[in-house]
Parts: sequence; C-alpha cells; structure tokens
Amino acid sequence: MRIMCCLKPVPKPGSVKIDPETHTLKREESELVLNPYDRYALEAAVDLAEKTGGRVVAVSMAPPNAKNILLEAFAFGADELVLVSDRAFAGADTLATSYTLACAAKKLGPFDLIICGKVSVDGETAQVGPELAAWLNLPSVTWVKEITPHEGYLDLVRTREFGEERLKARLPLVITIENEANIPRPPSIKRLLKQDEVEVKVLSAKDIEAQEDYLGLKGSPTQVVDTFAPEYQGKRELISGSAEEVSERLLSILKERGLI
Amino acid sequence: MENYQGIAIFGEWTGIEIHESTYELLSEGRRLADELESSLNVLILGPPEAKEAAQELISYGADKVVATFDEKLKDFRDDIYAQVVAEMLKKYQPEIMLFPATSLGQALAPRVAGLLKLGLTAHCIAFEIRKEDRALIQIRPSFGEQIMARIVSRTKPQMATVRPGVFPHAQKIESHQGEFEIFEPSEKALVSALEVIEKKPKPKAEVDITKAKTIVAGGLGLGSKEYFQKLFELAELLDGAVGATRPVCHLGWVSEDHMIGVSGVNVRPKLYLGFGISGSLHHTVGLQGVETLVAINTDANAPLMKQADIAVQGDAKEILPLLIKKLKKLKSQREDD
Ligand SMILES: Cc1cc2nc3c(=O)[nH]c(=O)nc-3n(C[C@H](O)[C@@H](O)[C@@H](O)COP(=O)(O)OP(=O)(O)OC[C@H]3O[C@@H](n4cnc5c(N)ncnc54)[C@H](O)[C@@H]3O)c2cc1C
Ligand SMILES: Cc1cc2nc3c(=O)[nH]c(=O)nc-3n(C[C@H](O)[C@H](O)[C@H](O)COP(=O)(O)OP(=O)(O)OC[C@H]3O[C@@H](n4cnc5c(N)ncnc54)[C@H](O)[C@@H]3O)c2cc1C
Repeated sequence: MRIMCCLKPVPKPGSVKIDPETHTLKREESELVLNPYDRYALEAAVDLAEKTGGRVVAVSMAPPNAKNILLEAFAFGADELVLVSDRAFAGADTLATSYTLACAAKKLGPFDLIICGKVSVDGETAQVGPELAAWLNLPSVTWVKEITPHEGYLDLVRTREFGEERLKARLPLVITIENEANIPRPPSIKRLLKQDEVEVKVLSAKDIEAQEDYLGLKGSPTQVVDTFAPEYQGKRELISGSAEEVSERLLSILKERGLI
Repeated sequence: MENYQGIAIFGEWTGIEIHESTYELLSEGRRLADELESSLNVLILGPPEAKEAAQELISYGADKVVATFDEKLKDFRDDIYAQVVAEMLKKYQPEIMLFPATSLGQALAPRVAGLLKLGLTAHCIAFEIRKEDRALIQIRPSFGEQIMARIVSRTKPQMATVRPGVFPHAQKIESHQGEFEIFEPSEKALVSALEVIEKKPKPKAEVDITKAKTIVAGGLGLGSKEYFQKLFELAELLDGAVGATRPVCHLGWVSEDHMIGVSGVNVRPKLYLGFGISGSLHHTVGLQGVETLVAINTDANAPLMKQADIAVQGDAKEILPLLIKKLKKLKSQREDD
C-alpha cells in the first residue's frame, strides 16, 4: 500500500507570533514542532505500510525551517520525505492548504491511502483532511481509531459522540486519525544514525503544478478581520481579606442576589 | 445568475431523532434571519422515517424545510451526505450556511466546502452582522493564544460550523408557518464508497452536568483529590453539580463526565463557582451560558478572576470548607424557621 501521511509543523507552544496586519500566524519566525496529533497519523501509516508491505511518503506544507520535522518523521518510520514550500503558500487557510496538499498528492501519487491527524493544535479546525478528500474526489472518514486492511478496502472504527461506528471503506481513501488509535513508537536508533543521508525533497508551487489563484492568502476565502481578548463586563466585584471574611461576604452577596 | 438569499442551517438526524444542535442553530439562525430581514431554511437529510420530525422544525422557527429522504441516507456517510448538501446549496444558494460542530458536522462541512471551493470557519461561538455589506462576522476561539478571532468569508454561502451548547434551544411556536419541500438529488450523488456495518453506543455518562442550575467546579488550585471531594458536599448543599478542569480529570480526581470546556461539555447554570481554576480559554469556552460567575483564586489576576462577576481572592482550600460549614448552619437555621 502506498500511503501519504500529512504532517503539520506547528509553532512550539509559547513561540507563536501573529502578523499584526494579516492576523495570520508568522510561521517563518516561530520555532516549529510536529503537530502532536500527527504522531498518531504517522504511526498508523507506518504500521499499515509494514503490514501490507507498503511505503509511507510524509508530506508537509511549510516554510523551509520545517525540514527537521520531516527528518524526525524519518526516524519514526517514514520512507520518503517531501516538503512543499513556496512563498506563495503563506497565509493559507484550510481551503488553500488542502488544495496545495491535493496538488502534491497528485504529483507524488497515486496513493492508496492518505492519512491526516485528527486536528492541529494551532489552527484547530480539523478541516484539512475532509477538504483534501473533496479536492481529490476521494471518500473520507474522520476520527478513525481502528484500521484493518483488506484487499481494496479498509475495515475502520470511527469515534462519534454516541460511541463508535464500524465501516467498510473502499480504497483509495482519506482518513483522519484519533489519538486513541495507537501508541506511537519511539524513534529508531538505526534511522536516527542515517538522518544525515536522507533527502528531503522540496517542491515549489510550480513543481506541484498548482494554480496560483488557489494558493496562500490570495486563495483563502476566510480572512481574519481582527483578534481580541474575551471581553469582561468590568462590573466585577473583588473580595479580599481573611478566609473567614471572604466566605461570609460571598455568601451574603449570593443571598442578596437570590442565588442560594 | 448568482443570487444568494436566506440563512440555511443543517438539520442533523441522529438515527432516532433530530439532534439537539439543530434547535440551537434554529435559534441563532432565526436571530440572524431577522436581523438581515431574510428567511430561515433547514436543509435536512435522512431516511424516510425522519420526515415527521423534519416537518416539525417549522414550528421551531424555520420558514422552509428542504429535505432529502432516502434509505441510503439512513446512516451518516461522509461522501454522499456532502454530495447531496452540495447539490442543495447550488440550487438554493443561501447567503449563510451553518453546520453544527458535532462529529457529523465537522466531517460534513469541510467536505462540502472542498466540493464547492468555499471558505469555512470552524467552531464558532458567536456571530455578528456587518451592516454595510451584510457580511457575517464569525467569531471563534484561538485557544493557543487565548484570544478570539473575527473571521469573514469572501465566498458565498458564508459557511461556519457552530460549537454545540453555545446557543439556546429554539422555542416551539405552534403558529409559525413555513414550507416543506423535497429535494431530489442526482443519482450519482447517492453513490458511496462507504458502508456502515455497525454502531456501538457507549455506556451513558453517569452524570450529566449540562442541565444543572448551580455548578461548583474545581481545578488544580484545590491541590489534591481530598479537597476536590469536598466540592460534592458543597454541591449537595446548593442542590447543584460538580464540574472540573481537564487536568484534574486526568489526575483521576473525578471522572471525565465532569469536564467543562472544549474537550468536555458546555454548561449554562445560573450560578457557577470555580475553585482554584485559572480560566484557560479551553475551559471558559464551556462557560458561555453562565449567569453569575464566581471565581475563588489566590491570584487576583488569573483570567477567570478577571472574567468573574464576583472574584474572591483567597485560598480555596480554606474557603471551601468554610462555605460548607456556613451553608450547613444557614440551612439548619432556615429549617428551624
Ligand atoms: C486564529 C486563527 C483562526 C483560524 N481559523 C480558520 C478557520 O476558521 N477556517 C479556515 O479555513 N482556516 C482558519 N485558520 C487558518 C488555518 O488554521 C491554517 O493554518 C491551515 O493551514 C490549516 O488548518 P488547521 O491548522 O486548522 O489544520 P487541521 O485541519 O486542524 O489539521 C488536520 C490535519 O491536516 C493535516 N495538515 C494541516 N495542515 C497541514 C500542512 N500545512 N502540511 C501538512 N499537513 C497538514 C495534518 O495531518 C493535520 O493533523 C485560522 C488561523 C488562525 C491563526
Ligand atoms: C487540546 C486541549 C484541550 C483542552 N481541553 C480542556 C477542556 O476541555 N477543559 C479544561 O478545563 N481544560 C482543557 N485543556 C487544558 C487547559 O488548557 C488548561 O490547562 C486547564 O484548563 C487548566 O486547569 P486548571 O485551571 O485546573 O489549572 P491551572 O491552570 O494550573 O490553574 C490553577 C489555578 O489555581 C490557582 N491556585 C493555586 N493554588 C490555589 C489555592 N490554594 N487557592 C485558590 N487558587 C489557587 C492558581 O493561581 C491558578 O490560577 C485543554 C488543553 C489542550 C491543549
């Protein structure tokens, strides 16, 4: 089975910078780490490739400083590493991101399966997987927690609010992986030692034959108008003093307001 | 000709009934439709047996219900649901389309957005209308940065998913009039690569804190499971329920059924008391509907303290037992009276 695994480099918690003009994340200036949820996607991909005698192509759309993340993916078992990187991708929303990944998938494919993480910890939309599937005209199944491969199809268990659902899904297919799906393996020492020899292939917008109108900020229909800290009415009453005093005071206010 | 009109919401059929989130979208959709002097439409998919429930949505404020019923739509299947909704949107061209951010909605909406090449804003918790151009301002939390973002879409319909539990349940108005229309999708829209084999419901949550009128919640500031346990005593005295932050659930102080926030539930009590809770947006996004918010924290600058109606500065480990003692006394006094 030939599997594409989408890995999102995200700013390391605490190092996030937002562009004051476009209100988008300044990814070039942040220290990047692998989106934690994508570890489960990668493990699922590597495990399936091992079971079916396949290969895993790890793909990230990110600035050049994301190469390290792909090298990390190599240590975790990815066979090929591809960084899709171009200034034209900057400021992409989920539609532009999924379009770019779809162009990369067409270029690098065909794939039997495309695996995404459940959600990113920065944008937190969980939209890229299903949108990518739509661009490629492939079926999609989200929040997959169990995968059993068969000839031409997968037996999947997905999580829903009410519990679980088992489905049979024909290949080729796009799935997103739950964090309960597996326990990611530690990096392989053998692969860590070979990291210097592996190549990260870098593809530009032109290389993936993408149409410029669909890329980056220009190709992003959603636009952040502004950001704000949640507002507080400012009518708050601050009570301080000894524990005895404040509890007495709190109870009398609550009584006055008819809340107790 | 492109002529985008009306607000549309997605009606979710659970297999048994209409999902709670549909009624929440109906109330917010109605508000937006009234503000834009426009109509409120429901797009709903399901098996034939969903018909009666779908028609009933008119009495919850819908001006029109557009439905496709087919045995093939009995279970949610990402591909065919998206194809049918995309065909509906092409035909009806609403100016706004809202989906619930349920597991179904979060899988469906981005597929539709991808098929029609539309913008989609995730997990909104509020909407505003920009008067000059009727643009829908979509407000969503950005948890990492502890801020809210206002987002607009350049494409139409302007689409968003909406966090469940944020908007109130629509009221039933028997006299409300509306139309009911069947939409016939193309044959190829109903061709799926997926087959649902089995549904396994999980055991019902032991506790449901979403309906409680009073909630006493605790966070890491309570220091230990032993102190956290005292919240149950306080909750009983106040005839309320116990809420928690995520880390205390993960420490095993209390089950995850009590978790409030993005990973837990939304609550809308009259009174919420938060003991030793910092007020991360991950938690407070679940407190949208709280009427009176009380925070008890040693740090007067903790975000929850800033957001509170009543901010009590002090040690929660001392204050909690004192409140219990005083309330017991109060109760026995009241009983004596
Ligand atoms: C405050 C704020 C709010 C935003 N809100 C929205 C919004 O409502 N709608 C919208 O369309 N955009 C929004 N964006 C932009 C969006 O977050 C982009 O970053 C987009 O590139 C990726 O979406 P995501 O991070 O939500 O990914 P998700 O959809 O949450 O990611 C799911 C999976 O997709 C794959 N993936 C995602 N991105 C990449 C990548 N670059 N390379 C490889 N694989 C990837 C990974 O497997 C990942 O686990 C917002 C951005 C900000 C800063
Ligand atoms: C993807 C993701 C999803 C998440 N989902 C959720 C969610 O659904 N719900 C949720 O709650 N969290 C969630 N979190 C975690 C969230 O980000 C915060 O870490 C969490 O809410 C903080 O919990 P806390 O307030 O109990 O602890 P802390 O942030 O550690 O706060 C403890 C507070 O107690 C105060 N304190 C200390 N000692 C005392 C004392 N003696 N008396 C009084 N006050 C004292 C401190 O000043 C501090 O303000 C999520 C995180 C991630 C990354």
